Amino acid sequence: MSVEELCQAVETGDQKKSKLLAQKLMDEGTDPLKIISSLIKVMGKIGDKFSRLEIFLPEMMMSGEAMSEVVQILSPHLKRKGAGQPKGRVILGTVKGDLHDIGKNIVKLMLESNFFEVKDLGVDVDSTDFIKEAETMGADIIGASSLMSTTLPHQKEIIDILKELGLRGKYKVVIGGAPTTQEWADDIGADLYCPDAGSAPKLIINLLKTTLKKASMEEMER
Amino acid sequence: MSNPYRLWEIQQRSNTGPFCDENDFLPKIFVPKLKEVIKKYEIKYDPKNPVPADDDLADRLWQAGWELFREVGLYNTDTHRIIKVSDEEIKEALYTASDRYWVGSGKDAVLWKHRQVEDTEPPFCIFSPDCTCSEELHYSMCLAFLKEPLLDGFCAPILEDSMGLKILSASPFEINGSTQHIYNLRLAAKQVGRPGVFLVAVGTAEHDSGQIAVSNNEWGVRTSDSRIIGTLTEFKTADTLFNRVVHCHQYGCYVGNLTGPIYGGWCGGSEGVAVVLVAYSLNGLCIYGANYNQHFPFHLNWVSNTTRELLWPIAVAGQAMARNSKLLYTSNGFANAGPMTEMLFYETACHALVSTVTSWHLWEMASARNKFRNRATPLEARIGMEVGHAVARQGMTREQANEITLKLLDKYESRAADAPMGVEYQECYDVATALPTQEHFDMYRRVKDELAEMGIEFPY
Repeated sequence: MSVEELCQAVETGDQKKSKLLAQKLMDEGTDPLKIISSLIKVMGKIGDKFSRLEIFLPEMMMSGEAMSEVVQILSPHLKRKGAGQPKGRVILGTVKGDLHDIGKNIVKLMLESNFFEVKDLGVDVDSTDFIKEAETMGADIIGASSLMSTTLPHQKEIIDILKELGLRGKYKVVIGGAPTTQEWADDIGADLYCPDAGSAPKLIINLLKTTLKKASMEEMER
Repeated sequence: MSNPYRLWEIQQRSNTGPFCDENDFLPKIFVPKLKEVIKKYEIKYDPKNPVPADDDLADRLWQAGWELFREVGLYNTDTHRIIKVSDEEIKEALYTASDRYWVGSGKDAVLWKHRQVEDTEPPFCIFSPDCTCSEELHYSMCLAFLKEPLLDGFCAPILEDSMGLKILSASPFEINGSTQHIYNLRLAAKQVGRPGVFLVAVGTAEHDSGQIAVSNNEWGVRTSDSRIIGTLTEFKTADTLFNRVVHCHQYGCYVGNLTGPIYGGWCGGSEGVAVVLVAYSLNGLCIYGANYNQHFPFHLNWVSNTTRELLWPIAVAGQAMARNSKLLYTSNGFANAGPMTEMLFYETACHALVSTVTSWHLWEMASARNKFRNRATPLEARIGMEVGHAVARQGMTREQANEITLKLLDKYESRAADAPMGVEYQECYDVATALPTQEHFDMYRRVKDELAEMGIEFPY
């Protein structure tokens, strides 16, 4: 019985074994922070393998689900230690008029595997629903996916409405999807463009770090 | 539709089929069954032979695709129910399907027929840039494509703007853009002397309302033309897509089922893509009543299908469908590189070569990963169609095709991840005359000569 065995079970997507081993490790008094730290490395490795398509979506999905099972078991223990806070809260969806979801679903999986709290609004999501849900959740990030050139304008619409409601500074707006580009992100004033699903977690973490750093520097200056 | 009387029986299954939570459908129903049939029918990818010549493999693949479709069905995301079709219904649909259609009208009408593996009849050539396009270039691009000598059908670029206003799906702007799209096409077709040319239109209309708005035998999409109706990746549909199915069948135009199985996604690897391609053909026939299937399998990271992991499923699925059905199906090329790069010409030639020898009709060519506005031209499609005609007429075998494919892959495969994105249409075509620049034409000619040296016997 070891953390390594648990990591192996998560990597191979064995949900049942992962759940069992996590519970046993907890019963034995293993430090949950140590377990989480090891599993973050495993999920990073899986994410990298998927980015290179050494493994495919179903395999990554199985690992992600095994990881979720473990996190559920560890959560109460982490909370008692004052840990277990998500890295960020994300509202995610495919914009109005667009029914494509594979990219969005991969991003969701990768973010959850990287300890983000994600609320997935699905496909064909009205721009105002992104904002309402972000307000309700207390989100840090609004992620809007678009797979068609004729639905891209809805990504801009989200940003425009945020501005009109005086909420633009409250959320980081992240965009992605096949027809999106850095140029489009710059045009509409998005905070981040993710060229592919695999890179989303790292880019979002960097964005949040930069934001926090900037905020603390501003605080110091004050 | 081969079975029009089944239209409503199938529709009703959206309301009466087994309920399934959408989150469960792919991981719990589709993926396990796909893995099971790959194992059961011993489907094994061989990267050393992107064009396999294995009839038994092709027949096993057909069985695998059939079983996958029958067992998994198609999920309706609006009703959360699975539409299933029985063995008997699949057999009936295949029996009653037509193996040929007259498409287009008047002197421009063309007979589009089922092809066999290593068929000496040239493929039906649908030119399509697949990309989006700015308003000021749309008409010129329509002209440029419609001037192509080997064109049997045309699917024009998607308008991004109309009257200077951004087109937004499902909005009045889309209806307006769709109207402009078909008027541009009709005028361009008339001006080049092909008024009855077969059109697959209009790509600008993503929503059903835009499609329905332009059905008109005088000025719009005619009954001798076609629409393509998508299946959502993977194995899903929605009422907005069925609205199009019902409209097209009642209007009377041809229907193509558009599918894009993703390598690296829910299909897994090359074996899964191959099985799913076959299954999608049955799905198109039985559920959409499609007259043909339009397939663009692609790589999850690169959004292309010119590398061997995608060429193999194209090659083997084509053989499976040719040997076991009389269906019509087009192979839609997606290249990594952009216009006026040698790499794009090589990629298109290779895609067309593999597809033609393994029975497909051609639909060429999305370039630059189909990501950028105005980044496609007729010239890369031309080289693909010329390769298709040449290898069919010379009776190229799969073994010969495999050999040339490997040589072509050597030229570009290692650059797939960081392919050059090339230039936009107006940078390599004269917008007024709708003809390629000399530099662009010379590049095309050089690559064509090189292809001839590899053994492709161009008639001119």
